[in-house]
This record gives sequence, C-alpha cells and structure tokens, in this order.
Amino acid sequence: MDKVAAIWNKSHPDIQITVNKQDGGDAAVTKLLTAIKAGSGAPDIMQAEYQKIPTLVSADALVDLKDQGAGDLKKEFTDGTWNAVTLGGDSVYAVPQDSGPMMFYYRKDIFDQYGLSAPKTWDEYAQDARTIHQADPTKFLGTFSSGDPGWFAGLSQQAGASWWGIDGKAWSVDIDSAATKKVADFWGGLVHEGVIDNNPMYTPAWNTALNDGTQVGWVSSVWGPGVLEGNAADTKGKWAAAPLPNWDASKPSNGNWGGSSTAVTAQSKHPKQAMEFITWLNTDPEAVKALAQVANIYPADVNSSAALSTPPAFFADQADFWSIAAQSSKDVSSFTYGPNVNVAYSAYTDAFAKAAESKDSAQFEAALNTMQSTTKNDLVKSGFTVK
Amino acid sequence: MTATITPQAVPSLAPPGGRGRGRDRSAAERPSAFGTAVLLLGAVYCLLPVLWVITASTKDGSELFSTFTFAPSTHLWDNIVALTQYRDGLFWRWMLNTALYAGVGALVSSYISALSGYVLAKFEFPGKGKVFAILLMGVLVPGVILAIPQYFLLAQIGLTNTYWSVLLPQLISPYGIYLARIYAAAAVPTDVVEAARTEGAGEMRIFTRIALPMMAPGLVTIFLFQFVAIWNNFMLPYIMLGNDQLFPITVGLSGLLNQGATVPALYTLVITGALLSIVPLVILFLLLQRFWRVDLAAGAVKA
Amino acid sequence: MTTTITRAKRVAIPYAMLTPAIVLFALFMAAPILYTVVMSFQTVKVEGLGLGSGSKKLQFAWLDNYVDAVTDPEFLASVLRVLLYGAILIPVMLGLALVFALLLDSRRSRAVRFSRVSIFLPYAVPAVISSLLWGFLYLPSVSPFAYVLKAVGIAPPDILSSGLVIFAVANIALWGGVGFNMIVIYTALRAIPSDIYEAARIDGASEVQIAWRIKVPIVLPSLIMTGLFSIIATLQVFAEPTTLKPLTNSISSSWTPLMKVYRDAFVRGDIYSAAATSVLIALGTFALSFLFLRVVQRRAFGQED
Repeated sequence: MDKVAAIWNKSHPDIQITVNKQDGGDAAVTKLLTAIKAGSGAPDIMQAEYQKIPTLVSADALVDLKDQGAGDLKKEFTDGTWNAVTLGGDSVYAVPQDSGPMMFYYRKDIFDQYGLSAPKTWDEYAQDARTIHQADPTKFLGTFSSGDPGWFAGLSQQAGASWWGIDGKAWSVDIDSAATKKVADFWGGLVHEGVIDNNPMYTPAWNTALNDGTQVGWVSSVWGPGVLEGNAADTKGKWAAAPLPNWDASKPSNGNWGGSSTAVTAQSKHPKQAMEFITWLNTDPEAVKALAQVANIYPADVNSSAALSTPPAFFADQADFWSIAAQSSKDVSSFTYGPNVNVAYSAYTDAFAKAAESKDSAQFEAALNTMQSTTKNDLVKSGFTVK
Repeated sequence: MTATITPQAVPSLAPPGGRGRGRDRSAAERPSAFGTAVLLLGAVYCLLPVLWVITASTKDGSELFSTFTFAPSTHLWDNIVALTQYRDGLFWRWMLNTALYAGVGALVSSYISALSGYVLAKFEFPGKGKVFAILLMGVLVPGVILAIPQYFLLAQIGLTNTYWSVLLPQLISPYGIYLARIYAAAAVPTDVVEAARTEGAGEMRIFTRIALPMMAPGLVTIFLFQFVAIWNNFMLPYIMLGNDQLFPITVGLSGLLNQGATVPALYTLVITGALLSIVPLVILFLLLQRFWRVDLAAGAVKA
Repeated sequence: MTTTITRAKRVAIPYAMLTPAIVLFALFMAAPILYTVVMSFQTVKVEGLGLGSGSKKLQFAWLDNYVDAVTDPEFLASVLRVLLYGAILIPVMLGLALVFALLLDSRRSRAVRFSRVSIFLPYAVPAVISSLLWGFLYLPSVSPFAYVLKAVGIAPPDILSSGLVIFAVANIALWGGVGFNMIVIYTALRAIPSDIYEAARIDGASEVQIAWRIKVPIVLPSLIMTGLFSIIATLQVFAEPTTLKPLTNSISSSWTPLMKVYRDAFVRGDIYSAAATSVLIALGTFALSFLFLRVVQRRAFGQED
C-alpha cells in the first residue's frame, strides 16, 4: 500500500498520504472505534472490510460520502458491491476497493494420480474427499476452519443465506436459516466421516500440511494465490484453480470471503481531499493496477478487473485464471451484514471450535443455533428492535 | 541485606567448638552428578525454544514448514536483510522505540521509586501506612484492564498515539516502590540521615548525595526489572498507538503475524525479528549478572 | 539529638517528596480504576436501526452488568478453569524454582553459572513471542518430544487437544516464570551467612539435609511472597492462551476471565460489561491475596514479631 500511495504522493504534492499498518482484522476496527469515542486519534482514511461497515456506521465513525459526490461512482461497481457500502440507502459510506469471490484450489498432480477432476458440485466434492482420504489416510481434501468465520459466511452466502436483514426500523437475524444449515450439515458430515480435517487454517500446522501434501485442496477466494505463494512456495506449479463447487450446477451462485473498501473517518479534517484520494485509489486504472499487482487483490472496479490478463505468479501456467475469477465474481449473491458482525463471528469461532473438536455432526447444527441465539440476544440487549 | 534469620531457625546439631573440621570434608564437597544433571536438564528445557528460534531464523520461507526443526540452514543473513528491507527498516525503528521506552521509562521510574521508597522507609508521618498500602494495591490490577481507561483519559488531552502515551503510564511502578523501600531501610542507616540533618542539609540534598549512592546496587535491580517489564509490554502500546512508526517490537511483530486472512503471515520475518529482539536483553543480563538480586522477603522484617 | 524539623514540616516534606509517585498513581492507576468502576454501572442502548448519528444513548444500568457477569456460565467456567490452571502451575513452578535455587546454592553442584543464566533466560522473552515459539514446538511435525515418542513407537498425544491444552498453556507460563522465581529464592539463600551451616556440617549433615532442614525454613518468607505474586499473575493469565488460540480448537474466546474481558471490550464493543467483569476479577484477586497472606502470615512473619 505504501508503494501505491507513493505514486499518488509524487503527482499530488499538495495532498500527501502516509500509510500506517495495523493488525489486520478486529483490532484495527476496535482502535478506530475507541479513537472515535474518545474524540481524537483516528486516521483520516480507513481500510474497512465490507462486513465491518455497519458496525462503523452505527458508531458514527464514517463520513457520508454522498456529500462528496460519491454517487457518481456507482457505475464503476457491481450492484452487490455497491450495496455493501450503501447499506441499501442513499448514503455512501465507503468506496469499494476489492472483492473476494470464492474459488477452489487443488493439487492437480494428486488429482491426476487418483484420476479425479475438479469437482463441479458439492456432491462431487464430498465424493472426491472420500476417494482421496480412503486411498491415503494422511491426506485431506480440505479442512473445516473454526477460525475463519468469513469463510463460512461466504459459503452460506453461496447457498443463498443472508444472516441479517433490514425490515423498516428493525433488524432481523437469520443465521440458522435453511441455507446455512445445509452448509453446516454438509461440512459437519464430512468432518464426522473423517474425510475432511477439523483444524483451523492459517496456522503453522496448516502451512506445513500445504507443503507436505496432506492438505490437497483449499476452498478459498480469488486472493488465495498470494497466500499460497507466501506459505507454500515449494509447491508452486502443482496447484490449479477452479470455480467453487456449486450446490446446483444449473444455477451457479457464489459468495464473498473478504474484500474491503476505503472510507473517510469522521475525525478527518480534510474530507474533500481524502475523497479525492480514495476515488483515485479505487477507480483510476493506474492505481488499481498497482493495487492488484502489489497487494494481490481482485479489484471491485468492473473496468479494472476486466483489464487483468497475466495470471498470478503462483498459477503462471493457468491462462484462464482471471476468466474464472470474473465469472465467480458475477455469480456472487447478495448478503446483508448487521451491526454486530463481530459478535456473530466470535460466537462462530467459539461454537464451531467445540463442534469441530468433537467431530460430531450433530454438534455442528447445535453450534449454528448457539451462534444464532448469541447474535440475536446481543442485538436485543443493545436495544435494537429485532424481528 | 540484613539477616533474616533468628536463632530458632537453626537446629542445634553440634556441640560448641570445632571438632574434626576436616572430617568428611571431601564427601560433602563431592560433585553431585544428580544435582548437576537436574540443573542441566532445567537449562536444556529453558534453552530449547531459544535454540529453535536460532535455527528457524536461518531458514527461508519454504524451508520453515518443510524441514526438520533443528536442522539449520544458511539464510540467516538473507532473513535479516529482508527484515531490514521491510518497509524501509521499520523493524530497526521498532528496536529503537523499544530502547527508548524501556531505557527512559525505567530510568525515570527507578528514580521515582527510589525517592518514594526512601521517604516511606525513613520518614514517619501520618497516613504513611495507608499511602503504602494503596500504592501496593496497584500491583493487583492487571494492565489489560487499565489500558482502555488510560486511553480514554489520555485522549481527552490529545496525547494518544504519541511517545508520551507509552512512556507516562509506565513511570509508576508499585513493585519498584516496594523494593526501593526495602533497600532504603536496609542500606541507609537512619543516624547518617539524622547527622546530615543536624548539619543543616536539605532533604532532597540528603537523598541525592547520601541515600541514593547507598541504595545503588538495589536500584540497579529495580531499573532492570522495570526495563524488562517495559521492553516486554504488549498491551499498553497496542492500545495507545496507531502510528506504526511508534510501535515497540512486541506490537510490531504481532502485527506482522496477524495481517488478516488475505495476506500470508510473514513468519520468517517474525521469527528473525523475535531472535533479534531477544539479543539485547540477553546481553544486558549477562553483563549485569551480579546486580540481579531480588530479595523480596528481607523487607518483611524491617517494614 | 534534636531535629530542627517542625511539626508541619514533618508532614509536608515527606508528602512533597512523594508527590511524583502520588500524582502518577492518581493519573494512571486511580483514575482509570475509578473510570472502570463508573463504566461498570453504565450501558449503551440503541434506537431504531442504529445507523444514524446520535442513535446511541448512554444509560445508567444499576447492577445489570454485574448480574450478567456473575450468572454467565462462560465466566464461571473461566474462573474455575483459571483456578485449576493455578493449581497445576504454581506448585510445579515454585517447586522447581526452589529445587533449582537450592541446587545452585549447593556446594556440590557443577555448571552453576551456565545453568543459572540459561534458566533465567526465558525471562527476557515476552509472552507473545514465547507463545509463538512454543506454538511451533507443539506441532507434531516439529516437536522434538513427538519425535522421540514416535521413535519409541508411541503415538504422540495432541497437546493442543481440549484435554491437554491447559498443560500446553501452563508449560509456557512455567518456562517463562521459573527462572525469575528461582533467582528470587536464590538471592535469599545467598544472604544466609555460611557459618549457620558450619555447625551442621561439622556434625556430618549432608547437603540435602542442610537444604531441607535449614535453608528452606529460612527462605520461607521469600517463597511465600513469590507464591503470592505468582497467584496474582496466574489469575490474570491472558497473553499465552490468546496467542495459542488461533492454532487450536480447544481455546475459546472466554477461556480465562481476562480473555473474556478483552473479548467483551474489543471484539464485542461492550466496554461496560467488560468493566464490570474487570471489577469482579480485581475484587476476587484482592480477596484471594488477602486470604493467602492471612493464612501464611504467622509462618512467614510470625517469628519476627
């Protein structure tokens, strides 16, 4: 991000941008919220993942950019992405930067060894998982990660779920909808059978597994190549990318894992200049290209994502990588995030960690119920009207 | 240190007078294989992770998760270079920040502890017991809990996200005051202070010229204790700082690890950074070994 | 010997010299604690969708936060867990610290310098880093213990599983703390004049007997103070389980009381509940420390009265 900011700084001597890197995830948001509450200490501009926007908005942390002319940017982005930064209303709280349509990565060499091809449906995925694990009990097609709520949210999104909803002046919480149950039961069943691992991703153990071939697939997102390059560089050339398996091959759909936007904080003394910068950052072709190259992201700006041609370094010989990504992005269904995403995500981690550890599929459904009740009760306790 | 022993504690095993001093001397001084083995086992246990971090620092990214733990590789220099290049030497700035926080913080904090401990040990005044008790209760409060309200208070004056926000809260060390009181009681004879007073010396002068030098060895311990505490502190700078140019090493390295799902954790940088961050403290320990005398209970007698 | 200090000065001067400490304490300890207590009686309620400005209101919550905390099964579980953790960790840590210190002080030990420095070394490593290092060492593919067990044909147990994870965390705390406690006790031992032992040695007492029957009773006060500080630190355990948490399914976000405080304050954005839980933890720690000192008061300091 420094490098991209440097490009701007060179050509805009009157508006200089300094980049501060924080802990990714919850911590940065919490610090911002604390700073907002305390009245000082917040930066001018903030990188905000889509699911955090309602939380930030409800804390009065973000400037409404519609007053800065943000409405003109609507045409640069897909409806789904635009919806995420406007929360369905007229106000624009952030400018989308990148999106994270989910994809599937797998070890082509091992698939070839067992005569398998990339699964097109989840049934095929389950079958492939069984085949691989039975042939070699040390190998797993994937793992169920209790540490990555965004991953599970994306999968639920693909199945048609939307965990929150707005109904007039009330919120609704629908985490235990049939769609999400379907996803939870699917993975619970596979963990129960033992053909899918039950340990979290992004750990030294998981990195080791990627390297030594005991994890032969990864349900991930379009930014996956960067992570694989960083943690499993030795296995370069052995992986292939494919669209995420579908529930119904005739009705493709997809979900998002991650993806962020850029917002102007309420404590900024230069909202106009800040808006200039973030418009440039997320829509100017040169900036977006730099972002994609340097930060390994998939731009939300529709013109720029169409312009990507060279596949990422980790998949250098997969020429159709970006067309898979583009199609995956088109298939993303809508999803509404509520004001207490953090609570839901933290409940997910606690409840599903227990379920995953027990390897008992009944506990997966129980975990989902816990997640629903915790999230709903939290909203009620805070004084929201919940339908 | 004053002796804390009383005659009752010593079992009377021998009649007075020295009889047969040379007897069984060799047996009593024979090296104990068992004792030494236990000590060495403890040493190995304590050195194991250090050994790991040394060998892991010599590996590059792809080797880290694919080779046997304790087999070293040759990439230590490369890793150090990569760490230095990360955002133009930010890591070394973190080192300097940490040295600043710990060095200045411990120095000032030790002075304040010494002063306060001296006053509590050598003066009689109403409310003294209460003041001491309240100060000691500070030990009971965990840093995690204090950090957020401290942030709010500093935000009112606009001092958050500055060097002051990390320095100021760590200037008060109840444990340091407690230790200083013990040292002052043990090392500074009251008659010397009285004598100086009769000669007309001011109280601060007495403290600076007479008491302080006498307390010096104990003060080194207090300084080192607070130095390590600040050096290793994570929670306070984590809450207070947003500008990563001001981070100490603990917060900086933690940030490298937790970059979110979409970016790979920079394991090699973190491990190399961890190794480099331990080195200064180890050197400090080795150099100042003889000052590490932490005698908690001696003061119980004199308090 | 008359002093020339008047009565007024006798009070004013000490307090004047104590001013830096008092001011700093008031600003950075007393004020935050008071603020926390005040916050524990408050809460925030939302109106409507909660998305506009001014949609949140600060309210007085009476004892709601406290009732919620005390009746929360997660909180109670975390308290029990941390007591169990303490029961496992403290005897082992103090026992080892005592044994090491005695061995260092014994005339019959060799490699004293090396052992003393090595065992003390972990004190230099911050908890965040040591948890990271041990996290790697717990990997079955990396751990030397697993290697040895596999070589002998035993399947290495998963130390991060829910049954054993408490030992995994305790080990990290043990590793980091035993050296410091050892030095505390060792210092006390070194302060004992050696003629105390002469009489015993002349009489033929072995080093072990001397250690057990002379040294240990003498350093009991040090041992007790170390125990007290260890209890306080143990009840506040936070950094080690938090760093290990992402690696395993066995540690929840409210595994220890302080983790619950952190989660409520930072992840759930509910600083008021966190404040109430903090106050409860502080009171509990205080009560336990008071009790502990009461019980051992006579043993430790009785002989000096």
